[in-house]
Amino acid sequence: MTLFWKCTIGIFLVLLAAVFLLLCKMAGSPKDAYGMVRYALPHMHRGSLKVGDDAPDAQLVALDGSDHFHIRERTGRRPLIIIFGSYT
Amino acid sequence: MVQIYNDYKDHADFLTIYVREAHPTDEWQMKSNMKDDVCYAQPKNLAQRVAIANDFIKRFHYPIAFGIDDINNAAEAAYSAWPERLYVIDESGRIAYRGGMGPFHYDPNEVRAWLAARYGAVKHDAAASSPTTSSSISPTT
Repeated sequence: MTLFWKCTIGIFLVLLAAVFLLLCKMAGSPKDAYGMVRYALPHMHRGSLKVGDDAPDAQLVALDGSDHFHIRERTGRRPLIIIFGSYT
Repeated sequence: MVQIYNDYKDHADFLTIYVREAHPTDEWQMKSNMKDDVCYAQPKNLAQRVAIANDFIKRFHYPIAFGIDDINNAAEAAYSAWPERLYVIDESGRIAYRGGMGPFHYDPNEVRAWLAARYGAVKHDAAASSPTTSSSISPTT
């Protein structure tokens, strides 16, 4: 193996370790870093919506589990604050 | 967000949209969820998702209007909303504010600032702030 490839692989491994340590710090532990990479990052998207764009519509389910309504039904009268989230 | 809702509900409408769980037991569970006894597997069907949403509402007596994203995650995809995100839609149906991706850039204070710029600030005694929970919807912020 040439010196060039030894240096390239060495730098790659150092960068990989730095990224892993950074993720551990952000997530809290190596287990959480794995969880972040495996389950969170693939689902997190900045998206393309911008201020001034028409707000997308979507059908939602009411708490009774059977009634449905659309986001658009709640807009138009006053500003609508939308809070996306989950229990956990 | 409940505090912001209470401060501005006479001026704006609020809608919470419940999306896929962020830290279910079968994916990336957090210690804080175990401590708070918020332990659920990722719902595989709408009935399971509705059941968890109702548990949340009952536990926190959550006062804000609530909608549940369908199991196909259409609202989440349309708004790039997972795991948590805030938007303001103005009266013309356009996006007036787009919050950053949660949890690192999820900032209810930006929504408060948007509302304050329109309707005036509402001040609170800092000592009266509420405790936090591990819930992504953060009923106490």
